Amino acid sequence: MNVLTHKLKEVSFAVLPITVIVMLLNITVAPVEITFIFRFLLGALLIVLGLSIFLFGVDLGITPIGKEVGTSLIKTNKYWIVAVVGFLLAFFVSLAEPDLHILAGQVDAVTSGLISKTSIVFVVSMGIAALVSIGLIRIIRNVPLNIVLTILYGIILLLSFFTSSEAMAISFDASGATTGALTVPFILALAFGVSRLKKNSLASESDSFGLVAIASTGAIVAVMVMSIVSGAKEITGSLETGAAQHQSFIGPFVENLPRLAVESLIALLPLIAIFIVFQMVSLKLSKNKLRRMFIGLLYTFIGLVLFMTGVHAGFMDVGRIIGYEVALLEKKAIFVLTGFALGLSTILAEPAVHVLTKNIERITSGYIKRKAVLAALSLGVGCAVALSCLRILLPGVELWHFLLPGYALAIVMTYFTPRLFVGIAFDSGGVASGPMTATFILAFTQGAAEAVDTAHVLIDGFGMIAMVALMPLIALQVLGIMYKIKTRKGGLEEDVRQLR
Amino acid sequence: MSGSCGNYAFELLIIVVNEGCGTKILHIAQRSGVCGATIMLGRGTVNSAILKRLELYDEQKEIVLILAGRLVAFELLDRLNDEYRFNKPHHGIAFCIPVARVYGSRSCQPSDCGNGGADTVMYNAIYVIVDEGNAEAVIDAATKAGSRGGTVINARGSGIHETSRLFNMEIEPEKEIVLIISESGATESIATSIRDAIQIEKPGNGIMFVQDVSRVYGLR
Repeated sequence: MNVLTHKLKEVSFAVLPITVIVMLLNITVAPVEITFIFRFLLGALLIVLGLSIFLFGVDLGITPIGKEVGTSLIKTNKYWIVAVVGFLLAFFVSLAEPDLHILAGQVDAVTSGLISKTSIVFVVSMGIAALVSIGLIRIIRNVPLNIVLTILYGIILLLSFFTSSEAMAISFDASGATTGALTVPFILALAFGVSRLKKNSLASESDSFGLVAIASTGAIVAVMVMSIVSGAKEITGSLETGAAQHQSFIGPFVENLPRLAVESLIALLPLIAIFIVFQMVSLKLSKNKLRRMFIGLLYTFIGLVLFMTGVHAGFMDVGRIIGYEVALLEKKAIFVLTGFALGLSTILAEPAVHVLTKNIERITSGYIKRKAVLAALSLGVGCAVALSCLRILLPGVELWHFLLPGYALAIVMTYFTPRLFVGIAFDSGGVASGPMTATFILAFTQGAAEAVDTAHVLIDGFGMIAMVALMPLIALQVLGIMYKIKTRKGGLEEDVRQLR
Repeated sequence: MSGSCGNYAFELLIIVVNEGCGTKILHIAQRSGVCGATIMLGRGTVNSAILKRLELYDEQKEIVLILAGRLVAFELLDRLNDEYRFNKPHHGIAFCIPVARVYGSRSCQPSDCGNGGADTVMYNAIYVIVDEGNAEAVIDAATKAGSRGGTVINARGSGIHETSRLFNMEIEPEKEIVLIISESGATESIATSIRDAIQIEKPGNGIMFVQDVSRVYGLR
């Protein structure tokens, strides 16, 4: 049972910090009703269980499928097949992503139907698909990632002159939302499957990363272009943020479970379909392996449903209540600090973060330690949430005041950071803004925005995910530069002198 | 080269432990006078019927390679055994393979070879290099013939049968190296079982070789 206990232990340690911090807040500055606290604890338990099962599932199902598909694509030895099939794969996977549907629904509501839900889901998926196919070609052609990213973010900068600040917030959020718990492991594995065949092991390592980063810019560009074309300048509608009140303790769990089960199943369907098509056309894997992968997909499904139920039913309400209460406090510093602490700890429980850090360790044979990446990510996201809190408090500060210098810095840094870390850093941006952030932290900032008169629930809420996607880029590149300095071989010259 | 211990003045220590222990072993080794070690990631197998049914039998392992003079190596091996208790289940495995020459390391001096003469060979290390995905079949075959399990290392490489260029990038297909420790008596039957299972004699199906192991801890 070694394997099981090991995984449970690891995941418990990841979920423990956020649980402890919420409990501390509960007994100090932000008392929460006892029913909510019990729901929160049950939610935490479900998250631990769900995340453990999900991670097993990713290891057995999603990762091998992505890898096999990537490798069999490259073995066709034809550019157009890689480009077209890559496009189709990414299109269907992103089309099924639940987070994208939620975001699209919100955009539909706030633009009073000017940008319809279906069109946004469709356009964003197209954007992501196009960029995934460009990203795959990049790996094959050995184009450096920093150059591709400079061009892509240059285009985004140009487009941003023509978009309203609301549309900009939405577009950056879209990039975070679309890289959800299922898409990220799949795209990571796809990139690994393509790049692992390279003879040059250095390039093979660093090219395993960066596809998620490139894909997420697709979403930004797509939404920006859409808002320019449709001419949606002002946000007119408003969002229903108040959730239905449940009196019973177990109510929200029972209510959320079937809905989330259906969502997760829809999200998994394209992956299953892709796999079956590939298996029939080119993979032809043995029966044992097939069985293993399908069991993996089953684990992924069960784990995802448990995890999402825990987050939606247990964590969301508590997040909103804490945000509201802390923002009302006299000392505003406590509010910002709380934001920092929540950001710091939430990210550890994010599913895709586990997948990414495991992949990093595996691909670099343990050279880049999981803990180092986690620490950098944690600090980055902590800062991101704290800055978002500041933005809620200070009405003059706008989102682009952070985004513009932030992305400028991140792009400039790519020219000084080791190649491997550039890919890891930009991938982690998409990874950090997963389901945990998009529900719990979003609820927290929205709750806070309700309490602060000058804040706009919608605009301030939307921008938060964009911040969470930005800060890891900088934090991990700093880590990369530190690694570069620290791992220079010490004492070599002395040894050479002694030899003479 | 000092001649007191035959052709082999050095030992290659190979230690397979659970994820995370590699760095600690490296520190212990450095305190024992070894100046460096190499760590790789691999995966081990779990002997549990239930977990096997659930398809949860992969366990992350770290493999530590240490080169040292014969005496230093044996001392280090004993010390590591005190620390990690390899003879208990799930505590890993450690073994030594005799090495003839070492270049590029000043701290590996052949003079520190002690207890002259080679030990009688009791164990073998079987290496099987196959295409990715076939490691499971190798381990299954080995287990059938009496082995307790194996360690799998991901690798890449190419034989003469593989195409070497796709688009404009050079290709080296993914391989898996399976490492199995066996008692000398069982080596032959394990090797035969593996040969039959994956038909290694056919071109392109992989390669297998066997080394003598001087000392083993952790094999039950």
